[in-house]
Parts: sequence; C-alpha cells; structure tokens
Amino acid sequence: MKKSAFLLFASLVLISCVSGEPKPLQLNSDACDFCKMTISNGQYGAELITQKGRYYKFDDVACMIHFAKSNTVVPYKAFFVCDYLMGNTLVPVEKCYFLKGGTINSPMNGNAIAFTSKKEAERYQPKFNATILSWNELYSSY
Amino acid sequence: MKKLRYINYLFFTFQVLIANTIHVGKQYSVKSIQQAVVQSNDGDTIMVHKGLYREGNIVINKKIVFIGKDFPVLDAQKKREVLSVKADSVVVKGFKIINSGFAALDDPCGIKVYNRTFVRIYNNRLDNNFFGIYLQNCNNCIVKGNTIVSHGTQEQLIGNGIHCWKSYNLQIIANTISGHRDGIYFEFVTNSVIWRNISTKNIRYGLHFMFSNDDSYITNLFKNNGAGVAVMFSKSVKMFNNTFEENWGDSAYGLLLKEIADGYIFNNKFIKNTSGIYMEGTSRMKVEKNDFVSNGWGMKIQASCMDNEVLNNNYLKNTFDISTNGSLVLNTFNSNYWDKYEGYDLDKNGVGDVPYHPLSLFAVLTEKNASTMLLYRSFMITLLDKSEKVLPSITPDNFIDKTPLMKSLPL
Repeated sequence: MKKSAFLLFASLVLISCVSGEPKPLQLNSDACDFCKMTISNGQYGAELITQKGRYYKFDDVACMIHFAKSNTVVPYKAFFVCDYLMGNTLVPVEKCYFLKGGTINSPMNGNAIAFTSKKEAERYQPKFNATILSWNELYSSY
Repeated sequence: MKKLRYINYLFFTFQVLIANTIHVGKQYSVKSIQQAVVQSNDGDTIMVHKGLYREGNIVINKKIVFIGKDFPVLDAQKKREVLSVKADSVVVKGFKIINSGFAALDDPCGIKVYNRTFVRIYNNRLDNNFFGIYLQNCNNCIVKGNTIVSHGTQEQLIGNGIHCWKSYNLQIIANTISGHRDGIYFEFVTNSVIWRNISTKNIRYGLHFMFSNDDSYITNLFKNNGAGVAVMFSKSVKMFNNTFEENWGDSAYGLLLKEIADGYIFNNKFIKNTSGIYMEGTSRMKVEKNDFVSNGWGMKIQASCMDNEVLNNNYLKNTFDISTNGSLVLNTFNSNYWDKYEGYDLDKNGVGDVPYHPLSLFAVLTEKNASTMLLYRSFMITLLDKSEKVLPSITPDNFIDKTPLMKSLPL
C-alpha cells in the first residue's frame, strides 16, 4: 500500500515536471518574447511551450506565430491563447475559434482574437466584421 | 478697398451678433449641459459654471465652444464615457472630468473625439478615467495643458492617458500624465508633434509609438514609468531634448527602439535607467550629443541593427557603456566622450591618440550569461578586462571609437 502510494506520488511529481500546463501571464510585468513589449492586455495574450519545457509569452497571437515560424530548430509542444471573453485565461489553441481582421485592434496589429465557444465567436463575428478561422488557417495566414 | 473693409466689418459684427453664449449652472435658467447642447447652434459658446454635473455621457454634436468656469466637475460615476466629441472645430476647455466607466470591450474615455478635425482640448483635469483623451481618426487637433491622472495598479487593466489612432497633424503639448497604461500612445499617427509633456509613473510606457511615421517628440520628461519609452515599427521619428529617467527593471528601457529606421536622436538625457537605449532591428539612426549618465547599460545594440551612427555623446558613470550580442560591427562610433577611456593625448588636440574599445569583455560575458554579473568588480574579471583591452580576443577588434574625446562635451 505504502509502495503504491509512493509510486503514485513519484509519478505525479514526474508528470508535473513535464506537464503541458500554461503558466499564467503576469500583466504589466512579463515582456513579450518576440516584440519586447510589456504584456498589458490579457485578452490578446498567447504562450507556447517547447518540447524541453521552456515557456515563451506573447502579447499578441501574431507575435507567437511569427516567433514559432522564425525558429525551426526547437520543436514545440503546445500553443495557448487567451480567450477574449475570459480575460487573462490561457487555453489550448486546438480548442479555439479565431476571429481575424475587421475592426479588431490588437497590440501588435495581428488583429486576431480567440474564443473557446463557437457560439460566442459567431456572435462577435458580425460585430467586428471579422472572419472566423481555425488555428491552422490562422497559423498559415501570417 | 474701403468698401471691402466695410463689408468685412459688417460681416464680422453680424457673426458676433448671431453667436450666443449659453450659461449653465445653478443660478442660471439652463441647469443641464445636455439641455444646453440641444439648445445651441453651430458657433455658440456654452459656459458651464462651477458645480457637479452627473449627466452620464455628454455628446457634443455641434460646432461649439465648450468652456468650464472654475473647473466644473463632469462625473460619469464609473458607468459611461464622460464626454464624446462628434463635431468638427469643437473647443473643450477648463473642465474637471472624472470617473469614466471601466470596461475592456468598448474602451470608455474621459474625452473621446470621433473622426473629426480641428478639435482643441485645452486645460482640463482628468482624474480616474479608463482612457484619458482618445483621438480616433482625427486630424489637425490640439491637446494642450491637460492634467491626466489615473490610479492604475499593476494587475489591473487600464487604458492610455492620451491615445491617438489613425490621425495626422496632431499637437500634443504641455500635458501632465500619470498612472495610466501608456502615458501617450500613437498608433498610425503621422506628421505630429509631442512637445513639453511630463509623463511619469505610468504602468507600462511613458510614450509609445506603433506604426507612426514622421513624428517628433521634443523636450518631454519621461520618469519612473514601468518600462520607459518604446518607439516601434516607425520611420523618421525625431527625438530631441527629452529626459529619460529612472526606468528600472529587467524589461525596462530608457528608450526601446524596435524595427525603426531613419530617426534622429539628438540632445537627450538618459539618467539612471537599467538600459539607456535598447536597439533591435534599428537602422540608419543618428544618435548625437546625448548624455548617458548612471545607467546600468548606456546602450544595448543588438546584432540586428545596422548603419547607425553614434557620435558626440557623453558616457558617464555607466556600469557598461555599450553592450551587444553579436560579433558583427555594422554601426559606427565617433568622437564620443567615454569616462572609462584611459588613453593619452600627446598632440593636445583634445582627441585621444589611441582608439577606445567601448565594448568590455565583461559586457559580452554578461550578455551571454547574465548570472556572471555576480563576479563584477572581482579581481579576475578586472584582470581579464585589462588583458582583453590590450589583446582583443572575445570582443570584436573593430568595435572602436577612433577619435575618443578627452573632455566631456558641455551638453
């Protein structure tokens, strides 16, 4: 019993070491790793984790995509973006629906925002006069 | 000729006669500002007398002069935008504007001007607003002598003091801004001037340029801002006579230059910053006659910079004068005064006879591995620095100032 508890504990520790959980963005203190600007608005923020477990934080999805494209050496593990409606909350990009263009005005002019709910994305789409994109479409659009 | 003058005179008096002044206040028949705006015609003056006016959002949609006497208070009680200007040539003068709403989605402001020209905003006091003054798609406007204060904390979302977007020919003069996200923010603004402003204690930048070409900022003070001043993705920006002071922190810079070209940095003072100037992707800039005093790094020039000219500057009491992360030398350094220069001047022409290497070995080491800073001023490091000066091995040997000055320039 004790042994199995220890094993469980050890495996939990090991899992937490390599977990793909995002680290929250510290507003007005973290700087974007691509454009050097201080991140001040969580709505547009983004983050990526490399295979080795390094975190990179960005103030705009465009910064993250430019950063990811500029580096072809280090493999990436996961991409995260902030849900536009939840403020500073990072969610995996695969779960997101993106709006790009129109009257959206993001810090680095990437002008894309993310929604976890498709309904909300569709609700905001005419408001911003933007187009709905998937992550892959957004990635190749920059 | 005489006739013409006569006609002019008649015309002028006629204009004066038809322009009314509407007084608003407790002792006058018109009690509400909104009512006064409804009653007014183009060219009228609305004079608001002292008092507290809680009328929610006030929209000015006529060409009027809107004057506050003894700073009447317009309070939106944290619900709406306070003053919306939706007409050309409006003058807003002498109000105290407080408590706009705080919202992330529609950016409520103290004063917002929508797609207008020749609007003038003079001598107002703004306190505790989300955005202070917002010029959206405006041309030929003047923002002068306003005091803009907010009380943002680090975790909180807050707007900019003076926010200008897609505009040209603006004049931002003699404003005092503190406690906002960015003191003054320019995005897609051209041919504009920022003159004699004081921007302190803002959470992010004192001044922030994005995609704004052909602007100048002259004789401003930027002090104690979260991350200094950032000029990014802009061309031909002129920066004269400004003071960048006390911007401390890992990602704080006196002046952050990123992806900019053809600018001119002249006669500024960089005092007590973590990095005086940080340059990345910067080209064809001229940095002339500036004072770099008591900074951690005087200038950090990343390898992505080229064709920049650094001349006639004073580098005094900096921990490192220059630092770079590459070995390629694409920028020129001429006739600067370096207080660390140990050369001699035998011919007494005021110019040192041996070139100066502004890049110290230790600056290169800390750039690669920041924790080596622990060894700063240790015996071994001093020894290595000295030997590197004699025989450059790690630092690029052509990274030199050939004509270092013997005396500091009187700037």
